Amino acid sequence: MKNQNINTLEDYKYGFTTDIESIRAPKGLSENSIKFISKMKKEPQWMLDWRLKAFNRLKNLKEPNWQKPKYPKINYQDLYYYSAPKSASEKPKSLDEVDPKLIETYKKLGIPLNEQKRLSGVAVDAVFDSVSVATTYKEELTKKGIIFCSISEAIRNHPDLVKKYLGSVIPLTDHYFATLNSAVFTDGSFVYIPPKVRCPMELSTYFRINASETGQFERTLIIADKGSYVSYLEGCTAPMRDENQLHAANVELVALDDAEIKYSTVQNWYPGDKDGVGGIYNFVTKRGACRGKNSKISWTQVETGSAITWKYPSCILQGDNSVGEFYSIAITNNHQKADTGTKMIHLGKNTKSKIISKGISAGQADNTYRGLVDIGKNASNSRNFTQCDSLLMGNKCGAHTVPYIKNKNSSSTVEHEATTSKINDEQLFYCNQRGMNQEEAVSLIVNGFCKEVLQQLPMEFAVEAQKLVGISLEGSVG
Amino acid sequence: MINNFKVNSNEIDKFKKISKQEKEFRIKNLNLFNKNGFPNNKSEDWKFSDLRDIVSKNFKKLDVQIINSKSKNTTLIKNFDHNFLVLINGNLSSSNFDFEEKNKIKIKNFYNDNFSDINKYNPLIHLNHALSDTGYSLEIADNYKFKKTLVIYNIFTKELNENILNSRNKIQIGKNSELHTIDLVVNESKNKFMNNVYENVILKENAIYKNICIQNEKSDGFFHKFSKNTLSSKSKYSSFIFPSGLKFNKLDLEFNLEGEGSECNLQAASLLNKNDHQEIKTRINHLVPNCKSYQIVKNVLNTESKGVYQGKIFVKDIAQKTDAYQLSKALLLNDNSEFNSKPELEIYADDVKCSHGSTSGSIDETSIYYLMSRGLNREESVRLLVSGFLNEIIEMIKSNSIKKFVQKKIEEQIHGN
Repeated sequence: MKNQNINTLEDYKYGFTTDIESIRAPKGLSENSIKFISKMKKEPQWMLDWRLKAFNRLKNLKEPNWQKPKYPKINYQDLYYYSAPKSASEKPKSLDEVDPKLIETYKKLGIPLNEQKRLSGVAVDAVFDSVSVATTYKEELTKKGIIFCSISEAIRNHPDLVKKYLGSVIPLTDHYFATLNSAVFTDGSFVYIPPKVRCPMELSTYFRINASETGQFERTLIIADKGSYVSYLEGCTAPMRDENQLHAANVELVALDDAEIKYSTVQNWYPGDKDGVGGIYNFVTKRGACRGKNSKISWTQVETGSAITWKYPSCILQGDNSVGEFYSIAITNNHQKADTGTKMIHLGKNTKSKIISKGISAGQADNTYRGLVDIGKNASNSRNFTQCDSLLMGNKCGAHTVPYIKNKNSSSTVEHEATTSKINDEQLFYCNQRGMNQEEAVSLIVNGFCKEVLQQLPMEFAVEAQKLVGISLEGSVG
Repeated sequence: MINNFKVNSNEIDKFKKISKQEKEFRIKNLNLFNKNGFPNNKSEDWKFSDLRDIVSKNFKKLDVQIINSKSKNTTLIKNFDHNFLVLINGNLSSSNFDFEEKNKIKIKNFYNDNFSDINKYNPLIHLNHALSDTGYSLEIADNYKFKKTLVIYNIFTKELNENILNSRNKIQIGKNSELHTIDLVVNESKNKFMNNVYENVILKENAIYKNICIQNEKSDGFFHKFSKNTLSSKSKYSSFIFPSGLKFNKLDLEFNLEGEGSECNLQAASLLNKNDHQEIKTRINHLVPNCKSYQIVKNVLNTESKGVYQGKIFVKDIAQKTDAYQLSKALLLNDNSEFNSKPELEIYADDVKCSHGSTSGSIDETSIYYLMSRGLNREESVRLLVSGFLNEIIEMIKSNSIKKFVQKKIEEQIHGN
């Protein structure tokens, strides 16, 4: 009995909650709650109008239902659309003023907010629930003219940039969850890299869902101006909960001429317990536009958490010679379901895209790769290469591949290949023979299987991700 | 232009002497069809082939009457000895099995006695089941191997003009028996018409069925064929499809591998010309362990043509040791052509070998350069490369005389442009 308890505690390393009093918006989705959010954020009128436009649009939209993982109906009137830690109303000027409990939480999460920050060289815009509490390394970034702040701050301080780019990649009128986000988004990050600036460090935000029943609606906007470069990290952990929590974030990337954006995600939200109770619904819209010539957007994701993951980080390759990349590892265990992939939309000439997707399913999980490669009529000399590999562990899980490939241009080449297999018994035997136990061996082999994607991650993430791969598959073999 | 094609329920009253059960079955299917009419691209299975749009653009009306044309002399293939069936507008007109033991073969007009099976998804099957009154049923007894190939002449007569034909065929091959067929489409009509076929092939234990599908010449036909194939243990199905030359063609093939050790092979090669639209859709259901499936689909797309390949491999959780392969290759010769593919895998068993590949692109410029440097002009080089590309499939045909016959037909199509 005692052992069991310990086991459940260990199952989800980051399953803890912090008791911080929260300010909440009135329950339910209504014009009032949107006005409340806007007021709490001290937003200008145009922003509120924008939100309300999205809300009106939302009334005519239906939730999509074509995806593989089905979920129980979400009662949007039963959610709180805004909650902020109390201490946010008087923003702390230095770390000493930050709520010690928050600091403690970050320590548990391993966020390098204090001394570690210098060693790791990471500037963290830590989002605890929905409000950015502390932003580090601001000075150094400001010197280079880089704007890295919360989206609410950006709305107040850089309205021109926000007005120009917000909703330009994911329009208000997109699909249900994207429009919902446009109406009720609470916070998120804003990054602007001025022309010809190479961002000196990896920018990173830790999201964390805290207050119960609060769906998180993050909004991220990253703009890389001509000839600039930025690498952005997003990592997620969430406390243990029994109720399903909705997360519908929107991430927009804009790369102008010769700019490059690298966006990496490690997602480790609460996946529900062994019987599929609880867990996060992760319905995220991520889209990047390579607007300029020779621009590049690269998505890397390691998806190990969430009860349902449903996201397709996409690239719209508008500029000539632009490049889109997508590297993904999706691991599902127990009752987790993932339906993820990418869209590569080739519009400009000589555009190139590369998709590497690795799906691993164990237990009773379902893992789907769904992707679109669309080569337009004018996208001469474009190229796409897609590789999706799936690994199955046990005969109760499923692995699916659903690629859509459209080619309208005769000078372009599209290649797609996919395989599905299980872990090779001989490899396992080889590892066992050399003294590794079954789990270590599986972890090693799976890490090898994912290597192509893990290599794409920045150093800070690579180590964590490798560990995650091992942890996620614990108990799935043997 | 037909905007919203519906079939009047009076049409069903025209079938005399049908049982109450059959009438109900037909009405049920008719209502299912009439509910939405021809499918459009909102339906996932028709995403790339908007039939409603195609029909409304090409037809002013569609006549559902059955055209009874008299049989006339059919020009038979002289290249090799064969048995034959002649179907005129889908209707079984004559048959000849001179090379075989007649008591082993049962051939008759198709008669439906299964009224429980209602398809869930495909409106064209509903239409077929509501209106079909023609077609054949062929049964081969156990332990009998056909000595010669059976050629099925599908003749469409001159009278056809804005008609839609619905027919049902059934082929059943007994234990340890073997049958090779060639489906040859001969179109005498210069007008537009639709042909909607529902086919059912049943292979008993250890049976072998090989089939080649080919058009005689280009025509203005709009074809849809749904084929449901059931394979018992150790049976083998192999199909070669050379569907070029139709204005619209959709082949919807479903294979159910129900017996252990069964195997299905599908090879397709087509050349699409101006305004041609063609889709090959497959669904291979691996339902038991140790089965094999292999698909290769090659398309060459010329000016303003559209090719689609939607393939799905489904592997049930108990179907361990499945070996499934799927490959689609397309050559785009012109910027106004389009190729869409959706090679799908749905897998619930872990000890399997499943893979697929899909490529589409242009002709390799260096190959053209090589040929041109040896004295061929550009056009000749392209033709040579195209025929080489398609020949890979034709080469897989074992019988020499048939291979030559198919090669000749494909050459005619390549040079016909």
